[in-house]
Amino acid sequence: MDAQRIRNFAIVAHIDHGKSTLADRLLELTGALEPREMQAQVLDAMDLERERGITIKAHAVRLNYRAVDGETYQLNLIDTPGHVDFSYEVSRSLAACEGALLLVDAAQGVEAQTVANAYLAVNQGLEVVPVINKVDLPGADPERVKEQIESVIGLDASQALPISAKTGLGVEAVLEAVVHRTPPPKGSPAAPLQALLFDSWFDSYRGVILLARLVEGTLRRGDKIRLMSNGMCYQVETLAVRTPKTIEVDELAAGEVGLIVANIKRVGDARIGDTITSDLRPAAAPLPGFQEIKPMVFAGLYPVDSDQHTLLRDALEKLRLNDSAFFFEPESSVALGFGFRCGFLGLLHMEIVQERLEREFNLDLLVTAPGVRYRVTLTDGSLVEVDNPARLPSPSERRSIEEPVIRATIISPEEYLGGLLPLCEEKRGRQQGFEYLGPGRVMLTYLLPLNEIVLDFYDRLKTASRGYASLDYHLSGYQPADLVKLDILVAGEPVDALSLIVHAEQAYERGRALAAKMKELIPRQMFEVPIQAAIGGKIIARETVKAMRKNVLAKCYGGDITRKRKLLEKQKEGKRRMKKLGKVEIPQEAFLAVLKMGE
Amino acid sequence: MNRLANAPAPDGRDASAESSAESSAESFTDALGLYISFPFCRSKCSYCNFASNVFPPRLLDGYLACLEREMELVAEAESVGGGSVDTLYWGGGTPSLLAPDLALRLAQAIRRIWTPAPEAEFTLEAAPGTLSTAHIAAWRAAGVNRVSLGMQSWQEAEIRSVGRLHRAEDVTRDLEALRRAGLENLNLDLIAGLPHQTEASWRDTLARTLDAAPPHISIYMLEVDEDSRLGRELLAGGARYHAHAVPDDDRTADFFELAVEQLAAAGWRQYEISNFARDGGESRHNLRYWARRPYLGFGLEAHSMLRRDGEERRWANPAELKEYMAALEAGRLARGEVEALSPQRQLEEALFLGLRRNAGIGWDELTAEFKAGAVEAKRAAITPMLAQGMLEESQGRLRLTPRGRMLSTSVLAELLE
Repeated sequence: MDAQRIRNFAIVAHIDHGKSTLADRLLELTGALEPREMQAQVLDAMDLERERGITIKAHAVRLNYRAVDGETYQLNLIDTPGHVDFSYEVSRSLAACEGALLLVDAAQGVEAQTVANAYLAVNQGLEVVPVINKVDLPGADPERVKEQIESVIGLDASQALPISAKTGLGVEAVLEAVVHRTPPPKGSPAAPLQALLFDSWFDSYRGVILLARLVEGTLRRGDKIRLMSNGMCYQVETLAVRTPKTIEVDELAAGEVGLIVANIKRVGDARIGDTITSDLRPAAAPLPGFQEIKPMVFAGLYPVDSDQHTLLRDALEKLRLNDSAFFFEPESSVALGFGFRCGFLGLLHMEIVQERLEREFNLDLLVTAPGVRYRVTLTDGSLVEVDNPARLPSPSERRSIEEPVIRATIISPEEYLGGLLPLCEEKRGRQQGFEYLGPGRVMLTYLLPLNEIVLDFYDRLKTASRGYASLDYHLSGYQPADLVKLDILVAGEPVDALSLIVHAEQAYERGRALAAKMKELIPRQMFEVPIQAAIGGKIIARETVKAMRKNVLAKCYGGDITRKRKLLEKQKEGKRRMKKLGKVEIPQEAFLAVLKMGE
Repeated sequence: MNRLANAPAPDGRDASAESSAESSAESFTDALGLYISFPFCRSKCSYCNFASNVFPPRLLDGYLACLEREMELVAEAESVGGGSVDTLYWGGGTPSLLAPDLALRLAQAIRRIWTPAPEAEFTLEAAPGTLSTAHIAAWRAAGVNRVSLGMQSWQEAEIRSVGRLHRAEDVTRDLEALRRAGLENLNLDLIAGLPHQTEASWRDTLARTLDAAPPHISIYMLEVDEDSRLGRELLAGGARYHAHAVPDDDRTADFFELAVEQLAAAGWRQYEISNFARDGGESRHNLRYWARRPYLGFGLEAHSMLRRDGEERRWANPAELKEYMAALEAGRLARGEVEALSPQRQLEEALFLGLRRNAGIGWDELTAEFKAGAVEAKRAAITPMLAQGMLEESQGRLRLTPRGRMLSTSVLAELLE
């Protein structure tokens, strides 16, 4: 197709502002799918995506649209992940586009992810078209939303399109705006190949599948391609586009988006943001913006049943085939035995990995409290990185510790400031900005230690604002901090997997709260179980789980031994799901007690 | 007349914690126990986790016909007709709702197939307030010599709160009527942990129970599980069925321990986790469950167990009345799959059932029946619980300690593979 009639665009929005519904409507309107083929949120293919209402993987769909001007256009809708954990992936998806629809809920207005995603799009040089969704709802206030878009993001909102993705109202105008306001792609089909790899995943039948945007040149089936970051070469077996049915094509040219299958075995070899070029006639330079993805949040994953260690390792291997951002290495714990230290992009990513392991691989997992990676300068001046609190060098071995810091943007109705400001203070935040986004709405900017965010910040933020505040953040370097290791002892024995790195000033309070929470989470046993919190060997808090008083199955209706046996088996099974430390049985959730202290 | 003339004292030594040398398995003959399930009730108690219900009375005739048909079919299928029977138990539900003529008809049906031994124990469960003179006379004529009254408490508020329909004074009147009719082998059921129970109310219930002086008392702690309405409500943290007024676990444990203490002082010995007796008043039918002696159950959700040549087989009837009756009306047995227990399972059950009795189990009984290696493995597995004071061993017998009895589920679960 003539590149003049191609439009590559994305929809960017805060969660729940209607992105997937709008995508569904666009598919329907362009006849990509018959109504009977429609399943709500067609593009969110994974069960997890549909259930959580979020997009984890990027997708691209080619729509053929006959515009009011009589011409037929090829519209490539690139659906981007919708969560802060995946902001790098979002930036790469956006780099594959020339335009973006900025979708804002007419009642909720601009939220933190609206701002973050709009900035990403603007910074990529995209033509951004504001679209105000849900204008048919009672609380809709499109004029106020337009003001916010202008004042906060600095975009001209006078041409913002009022729509209802749910009813289809105004959606036709969105397609027209894509055609007329998004610039066509610029590249030349005759130039050396430069294609932006903006997502990849593993398919058990085809191997790794690449999703790429051709920026320059032409790619044909059978061509030999080279990945510029690592120099690896492959032969193209299949080229395809999704409409959203997968249709094989013979070639893709500059401006187009498509799928590439090239017998690639490991998703880790096909890294997001890489440039695909021709091995015979390589481009002079890669496309800008490639980065190595680095995990930000770390936790230990252990099988509840130590016999499942090999199964867990195999499952992690399989998962990594499909998720190059996920990192793991073996570790061992005195308390928990053999397991793995895993790195994630963020908390959501961690939850997703955990859920997929349990769901797809049927594993019973024990997860330790999430933490971050610290930089520790030892007394000899050397630097080590520590992502497992149990391995923090002792105070006599270390000179200083630096912790990762994020820049957080919080948008909230003004009335919740009374809860939000003390929360940011408590979490050791330093205010960088305080801005009114219009009457009654504020945007706060804070520098916050990442380890405070990974604990319970998000939940507490939601509680403090009754769910109204939104949060977005990105990593902003390291800062020195006065940190100590907090240990938890159960029945007199320190449990390494429960150790935490906390700020010295908060250590006492945290220790007390954690011991109290552990008391709630550890069920009563046949004997009394003391729980203690300690810093450097000094006990700072003590709680006791009282011994159980009764546990009796009395009735035996007419000799129903089978029921009795089943109840005993259930009891035994319940114990199996707990981790036995010495003679104390600890449930899985107790290892995440630190996340539940606010409850 | 000797008040136990129709039911000579069972082998009381067998159940006694002191008679350590007694071997329970040998003291009984191979006679059968028969259990008849009678699932009809006037109301469904909130703590009930059995298949009983308020079924329409018009189903009664048909249900009895099914029971009769089932007994014939089982006797034939298992070749157990004509055998000797030493315990009968009509449980429920509420067997006392059965009209006098129907009770006699059922007893006759049983006697057509089996011959109860002259000294057989024949228990009927009765709901206080449902006993007429005619009922009691019919039971006597049918051969009933032991009656268990499901009274649960002497406190009106507690009785009402779980949906039982009788009043405390009904129990007094029923006890008098039964005794007048020569039925003295009586049991009273109590529940510790009922809604609105307090220490004072519980002490009063215990005192009045001891005053009534039945030879047998059963005391259960309220079970909180998914199988009853009250249990589900408690698990969900709700307030229906007076769930908000249920004493917590520790209080219930206090109440139960108080009962054990007071009953012991008054001469009622605990011979099983929930059962207390004096003067040889132990329930021989219930003992057979713990001693793994064979029994056949008939009716809704009834359970059966037969042992032959070292093989143990168990089966159960469906819990749905329609399903049960439809099968028998079509001339088929209603029972589900017959389970043959492996020696390992039998050993585990010998342990977890035997340990429910205060007499415990003898290692020599186990080694007589099971492979020495398997018994040794169990012996090793219980060592930590001996150390923790949950189990005790003396003169070759293993028993739960008083504390182990309060935590029996935790302890017994450890005996499973």
